Amino acid sequence: MSSLQRVGVLLRHEVRLAARDPLPAVVLILFPIVTMAFLEPAFKPALVQAGHVDASGAEQVVPGQATMSAFFVVSLVTFGFFSEYTWATWDRLRASQATSFEIVLGKALPRLVMVVLQFCVIFAFGALVFDLVVQGDAVALLPLVLVFSACLVALGIAITALCPTAQQAQACAIVGMVLFGAIGGALVPFDVLPDWARAIAPVTPTYWAMRGFETVILDGEGIGALALPVAVLAAMTVTCAVVALIRLRFDDHKVGWA
Amino acid sequence: MSAPTLSVVGVHKAYGGIVALAGVDLTVEPGTIVGLLGPNGAGKTTLVSIVAGLRRPDAGSVHVGGIDVTREPRRAQRAIGLAPQETGVYLPLSVRDNLSFFAGLAGLRRGARLARIEETAAALGLTALLHRRAGELSGGERRRLHAAIALVHQPALVLLDEPTVGADVQTRTEILELVRGVAAAGSAVVYSTHYLHEIEELDADIAFIDRGRIVARGALSELLGVHGTSALELTFTGPVPGAVLGPDAVVLGRTVRIPTGDPAHGAAQVLTRLGDASSTLESIEIVRPSLEAVFLSVTGREYAEDAA
Repeated sequence: MSSLQRVGVLLRHEVRLAARDPLPAVVLILFPIVTMAFLEPAFKPALVQAGHVDASGAEQVVPGQATMSAFFVVSLVTFGFFSEYTWATWDRLRASQATSFEIVLGKALPRLVMVVLQFCVIFAFGALVFDLVVQGDAVALLPLVLVFSACLVALGIAITALCPTAQQAQACAIVGMVLFGAIGGALVPFDVLPDWARAIAPVTPTYWAMRGFETVILDGEGIGALALPVAVLAAMTVTCAVVALIRLRFDDHKVGWA
Repeated sequence: MSAPTLSVVGVHKAYGGIVALAGVDLTVEPGTIVGLLGPNGAGKTTLVSIVAGLRRPDAGSVHVGGIDVTREPRRAQRAIGLAPQETGVYLPLSVRDNLSFFAGLAGLRRGARLARIEETAAALGLTALLHRRAGELSGGERRRLHAAIALVHQPALVLLDEPTVGADVQTRTEILELVRGVAAAGSAVVYSTHYLHEIEELDADIAFIDRGRIVARGALSELLGVHGTSALELTFTGPVPGAVLGPDAVVLGRTVRIPTGDPAHGAAQVLTRLGDASSTLESIEIVRPSLEAVFLSVTGREYAEDAA
């Protein structure tokens, strides 16, 4: 049996597990749609004040809420690993023919697809319902979404590697979502943040994602202008992957959900 | 001559300063059941984990079907079916999906996979439950699914670590029956347990493990012949008369146990010694040699099944 076939078995298995509990995927998409509905008017003044006189507010709220809720995938990734400890299936999986790399890939890929789809649905919904207008090349958003999603999935694996318990991993994922969302300019417009927050914002992936979205959506730029955000997000993805590679020990005794 | 299904040579393992295995040697041939017996903390689970490739030994070697588990774990794991001590099943998935996943990972194609799922489910009384979610199963049913996962791909070596812990009588009976069937079909089975009577029921070869060492190894009849001693057990209506007390006699309340190599002759001698005191004798029983006696003989300690 080839490695590709085993990854296929693992992918089908993860999709089957996700299908048994579709609520997280539904929340991933519904949550930003609901929040966009009542946050859009609040963002318009901030954008106008920043010089985007024709802005409706959707230019900030759609990518902002999509970016915020995309962070749920960090939690879902950790859940994917820690569930194995909860169900005591981890050792079974390790005793199978699947390699460590195949197991990680089997858990990461479906979640990566899930978060990319989430972005596509939210942006489509934003355009149709919230009059989101992309001034630049909309196709240029795709590599940005892909690399940001990969960064979040890698962050989820790194958190799994570093945390010995499911509760710790969950706490890290939630704190990361709120803190990175706020400092990175997804929760509130970047311009209204205090100076100290703006100074440290570039350490968050959210900042680079939002900066990329703003460059295309508000400033009307194309893929060439996204080189820096995409490169930084790619570097962050690699950093998280290296942390995971060094710290993810398959024979560690981790504690799943009680 | 072909390689044994399992060959463990000089395996050592320590956790920090605590020695879990101190030079274990074990060979298991195809079609045989080896009962890995020992009290809690003896090293059974550590040994099973090392054989399954889940832990690396500090020293020594493990070969499954001639393949070095430490050097080529994935190749060796093709031949291994593991049921760890803790019940491990995907609770949100159906019984069929659980079996199908692990059969798929083991490389079974669709046709063979479906056939093996049906066969394994039938053998463990799970056929009617194939569509039920594992989370909706009773504890015993879940335990059967747990064992079924280890067997679904027909491995050459089956590792069952305390498979009947927490199982009801029906589940236990079915698991023991299945283990016999699996061995009869040619697989080697390592059956770790601290329940001595299960090994007696399976009539398995025995490896007694204690404090990280195999302290006795052989067929049940051999071990009983070498280490087991019959005993007379006399119960009195009052205190045990001094006339029957010898250097080996063990008194427990109104009962005395006297080891003897020849129970019939020993009983006659005891009754003669009792004389008038025989009027207080309530019962006399011949206790045949047991695995408890073997354990006592090789370790010098009582086998505490409850504490295990």
